[in-house]
Amino acid sequence: MTENKSNDPANDSSRRTFLKYMTMLGAAAVSVGVLRGALQNIAPAISGITGGFPTMQLVDSSGNPIKTTSLVVNNPQIVTFNYPLQSDPSFLLRLGDSSNNDKVINPVSVPASPGFPAFTSPGGTGPYKSVVASSAICQHLGCKPPAIRFHPPSASSYPGKIHCGCHGSTYDPYNGFSIITGPTVHPLPNITLNWDSTSDTYSVTGMLGPTIYGQPSDLSGGTPFPSGTTKTTVTSEVP
Amino acid sequence: MSDKKTSSTSLRMPSLIGESTTLIKNIFNDPQPLPRKVPDYMRGKGGFWYWTGAMVMTAFLYEALTGLVLLFYYQPSNAYVSTMAFLNNTPYGVVILTSHLYGAYAMIVLMYLHLLRNLFVGAYKKPREIQWLTGIILLLLTIGVGYFGYSMSGDVLSQDAVDVGKGILQAFPISSIGLWLSLVFYGGGSTISLFSRLLGWHIVLAASIGVIFALHFFIAEYNTIMPKVEKGADKAPLVDKESKEYKPWFPYNMVYMSQISFLVMGLIILIPSILAVTPNVPELFSPFPQAAPGTAAAATAILYPPWFLLFIYKEMDFQLSIAVGPFWATVIYAGIPLIYLFLLPVLDRSENLKMQDRTVHVALGISGIAYLIGLSVWGAVDYGIEVAYWAFILFFAGIAIPVYLVTRYITDAVKSGKFKEASLPAMIVLMTLIAVFSFVSGIGITSYLASPDTGNAAIMIVLLVITVLLVVSAIAMILGILPEITWKSDKRMSGSSYTFLGAGYAFCAIALVSVMMVISPYGVYNGSLYGIGLGLLFIIMAAMLRLYRSYVYHE
Repeated sequence: MTENKSNDPANDSSRRTFLKYMTMLGAAAVSVGVLRGALQNIAPAISGITGGFPTMQLVDSSGNPIKTTSLVVNNPQIVTFNYPLQSDPSFLLRLGDSSNNDKVINPVSVPASPGFPAFTSPGGTGPYKSVVASSAICQHLGCKPPAIRFHPPSASSYPGKIHCGCHGSTYDPYNGFSIITGPTVHPLPNITLNWDSTSDTYSVTGMLGPTIYGQPSDLSGGTPFPSGTTKTTVTSEVP
Repeated sequence: MSDKKTSSTSLRMPSLIGESTTLIKNIFNDPQPLPRKVPDYMRGKGGFWYWTGAMVMTAFLYEALTGLVLLFYYQPSNAYVSTMAFLNNTPYGVVILTSHLYGAYAMIVLMYLHLLRNLFVGAYKKPREIQWLTGIILLLLTIGVGYFGYSMSGDVLSQDAVDVGKGILQAFPISSIGLWLSLVFYGGGSTISLFSRLLGWHIVLAASIGVIFALHFFIAEYNTIMPKVEKGADKAPLVDKESKEYKPWFPYNMVYMSQISFLVMGLIILIPSILAVTPNVPELFSPFPQAAPGTAAAATAILYPPWFLLFIYKEMDFQLSIAVGPFWATVIYAGIPLIYLFLLPVLDRSENLKMQDRTVHVALGISGIAYLIGLSVWGAVDYGIEVAYWAFILFFAGIAIPVYLVTRYITDAVKSGKFKEASLPAMIVLMTLIAVFSFVSGIGITSYLASPDTGNAAIMIVLLVITVLLVVSAIAMILGILPEITWKSDKRMSGSSYTFLGAGYAFCAIALVSVMMVISPYGVYNGSLYGIGLGLLFIIMAAMLRLYRSYVYHE
């Protein structure tokens, strides 16, 4: 080990600097190689379903199809089903006026919200055009029922509104679930229902409007139904 | 700190407690600053042997990092499916899963190397007894972690490993304790309880390795490195921090450590990635999990334990083991070597580091490696065949007696000056190889006699040729015919060679990483190609650091 480096003709500072930079290039190559692999590896695959929105029949807990008579107008209970993924609660509402008579819900245009264009809400379905459905996950910060729920027109607070108790967002189910008060900046995603007039049964066929809160798309980012599932169960709970 | 050295000529186990108290007091009350000076010979030719511990640590850190990534994906409720999904469908999953396995293999191999090196150079002696004992505990913990990790994949081999482990524990002489142990380690019987326990114990043991390693490391830092082997009977530690031959930790040692870490990690990534794209890799070295239990493919799998437990597997075939049952067989075969290793600091109390004065322990060390490798190869080739008492005695005595006699002869020759002391380490390595290859050749001959085909004949001939070559070189060495190999410590190339090599390495690294960037991250084959690239990249990095050290530090 020679201590006096300057006497060594093979050792000059420019070559040392060159070697240093070459080593740094090598280290950079190693970092790129490791980071590419590591960063891509630690993000898991997104779970969800492929293809379009599934069509699912609404059934009760015994598996029998939901009929119009089994839906209560202005039901004070929280009536939900899961759609399009098993982890996506959605509201099922049979809307009425303050005397609890069915109210016709007409298709309305819901204005654009940040990142999402305006869309036409499908309006009510069923024999009285009064049954509507939407995502039950608040678009503000993702609260789920019972924190967010429909208050019937006879209620003392928020009559006829969907109100989220977490931060106070209010939506209007009679107007395409559009925003009444913030802090939400998006309306609730609308769910399209299809009513079969001969058998009086309901099925869900798709969604309109913003993407369900917290998911990269409506069909991914949650727990999917087991493959081959064609029915989704409607449940009610007392708030 | 030398005032602490008392004239304790009779070191007994209880006095170890006193020793440890002094040690802890000295470490915490009089801490040695970490940025310390390190002697040049640790980084010179043959300095490799001072870094076996650092290599184990590198492998351990690699295992911890890849293990934490695997933790993101492993589902105890779905062990096999989640493991295979990570392997097949997660980007670069194949690199992480297979190198986690091979990192464990590397850690175990390097640990044995570290243990043997310290056994032969007498590093278990005063003042390093506690270091030695914690080291043995670390070996046990590592094999335990390896066992649990291996059992976690949920494949047919892991199921077998769990069943064998359960069987050994439940054969505990007091059945209620055996049951308790089996419940603690393997759960209450449901699959999820089993795999949750395996995962838990894998992590708990790995964490305890981290804790005990910290102890082991700081005691080592306190005791400082072993003196030069040639200095012989000098009492350790022998460190002269004022000498010019000692350089500061930064940058000399840091660059050196980075170099060996890149090399170790490069090999850990490269070897399994090559095996992953190689067809027909023998099951024992396959980097992939085997078939799921209960499938048709599982029926054809050979139910091997992991290779690092093969020696116990073979020992279970001895008539003695069959007579006493699996529990006592494990206690005997794993216990006797362990008790020997634990007691070594007490059995050999002299402060003499010279190998020629420790014939018995050197011979036992050589025989121990021969037993370990011999039994493992035997277990891989002839498993499940009962071994009679006479063959059992022949195996143990047939290795120990010749090894002892030759070691005695060599050490006597060293003492009488007929054999160079400096050649002793090489001779020990040679003797170990001879002992291993003689036994393995014997297996080769019996395999050939049992089924005389071309393949077995070729294996037998190759083994016999290696054995003969080793014996001839040993005899040549003893007779002094072999020329003494000397290394120049400062091999310098011309200045332009450094420029050329440095630029060449950097070019290769950038070319490699560019190719890697366009490889699709999906699929086992593509992932393995990426792993090969990454392994080579690490090795190029090690080579660049070597070049840099040579040019800038004259090392």
